[in-house]
Amino acid sequence: MTRNPEHLAPRDSPLARRDPRWRLAAFALAVVAVAVLRSPLPSLAALVFALALAVVGRVPDRWYAARIGVLLIALAPFLVVVPFTIDRGDRVWEWRFLHVTKEGLIVALTLAAKTVALVTLALTLLASAPLHVTLAAAGKLGVPRLLVHLTLLTYRYVFLLLDEFGRLRVALRVRGFRNAMTGHAYRTVGQVTGTLIVRGADRAERVSHAMRCRGFDGHFRCLTAYRSSPVDVLMFVLIVGIAGGIVAWDLRG
Amino acid sequence: MIDVRDLRFAYPDGRTALAGVSFHVAAGEAVGLIGPNGAGKTTLFLCLCGVLRARPGSLAVAGLDPSDPAQRKKLPAHVGVVFQDSDDQLFSSTVGDDVAFGPLNLGLPADEVRKRVAEALGRVGMTGQDDRVPFHLSGGEKRRAAIAGVLAMHPDLLLLDEPSMFLDARGRRELIRLINALPGTKLIASHDLALVRDTCSRVIVIDTGRVVAEGPAELMRNAELMERHGLEAVTGQS
Repeated sequence: MTRNPEHLAPRDSPLARRDPRWRLAAFALAVVAVAVLRSPLPSLAALVFALALAVVGRVPDRWYAARIGVLLIALAPFLVVVPFTIDRGDRVWEWRFLHVTKEGLIVALTLAAKTVALVTLALTLLASAPLHVTLAAAGKLGVPRLLVHLTLLTYRYVFLLLDEFGRLRVALRVRGFRNAMTGHAYRTVGQVTGTLIVRGADRAERVSHAMRCRGFDGHFRCLTAYRSSPVDVLMFVLIVGIAGGIVAWDLRG
Repeated sequence: MIDVRDLRFAYPDGRTALAGVSFHVAAGEAVGLIGPNGAGKTTLFLCLCGVLRARPGSLAVAGLDPSDPAQRKKLPAHVGVVFQDSDDQLFSSTVGDDVAFGPLNLGLPADEVRKRVAEALGRVGMTGQDDRVPFHLSGGEKRRAAIAGVLAMHPDLLLLDEPSMFLDARGRRELIRLINALPGTKLIASHDLALVRDTCSRVIVIDTGRVVAEGPAELMRNAELMERHGLEAVTGQS
């Protein structure tokens, strides 16, 4: 049994009902807007905005919390270190050579708010439609076809490769292999990596054969009909407008 | 339906996979292509469906020459291939989308595609399972979904490569029932001789890239012939 590649079955929501092209364009611009923010308050506003979109998009709480939890764990070392590394501004805590500055805390807060907002936007977009629909929309918006195909197939097959890796690990373990900092262990890890790459390449070739046998000519087609309505345009204007407003606030501040 | 004359194929590394294969399959026939691992069965299939380029004039499939680029483009509408590993074939996020992949590539209108998807899933006993994620299916279900993906293209010829691989006994029994219920011409490559006995009226034995024997399914009872070519004679009735 392969691993579950579909993290979520998209739910019906006001966002899910919108034309995927308009939705993708709006979220892409919102992501760019959040990425360029520099001040704490606009960043917090962006986080609130992203969370509001997640609510409108009916993103499942647990699914969302699990991913944000992992993100925060990964982010924690940076958030902890940043307040100690910025010298400018008032010192709010000091002990021998260590000190925490107000500026450092603000930078850490801004960093956390922006990162969570960005990932929230990405998760909301992912939760609003099956990935292939969003990627087909990306293709329609002019994203290079090769990139769309690579993303789609990578997403599909990364789980099979993980399974392959799992099997290789078991095969190593039953023959007494244990991870250690030895030449033998490094060589083995290198060989396993090589085997995975070769198997991945074999798999890619077989998938390509199967696709060509079913008439694939380089164009991904899907049954989803793309139809723009005034509501799609309104959603786009609303999301981009709010994101633009936050950027303008950030630039003024 | 299939006319193969002195088909030869060698891989770029110099390994000869097919060394002069010739046979004929008439329309409506169900033929088993049997042979040991490395006999050239999969290579032959890939030549038949135009993925691997054979010498011009050595092949005719549904009246088309796969070596001719213009005719090769028409092959998917006539020839359906079910690959050994269904995971190679199921790449869409839902079963419905995967089954729709081929018909959409044929340029059919959306309504016709939906009709074909429903019909193909019905044929393999997966009605109403359009929204399931292919990677969650059991081995037998994956195989049936892969077959549905090919059936939705309404091929005249069905090539099944090791169809019973990765299947348990129940999945295998279901598959045999399904293959027997499928219309059209079938060429089944397998070293599961019991499956071939239960689904095919004629067999072609292939070994080291050559056809070494051809005849009715009873040929598989010839223990000496089977053993000589790395196979095991089938006994008993279906």
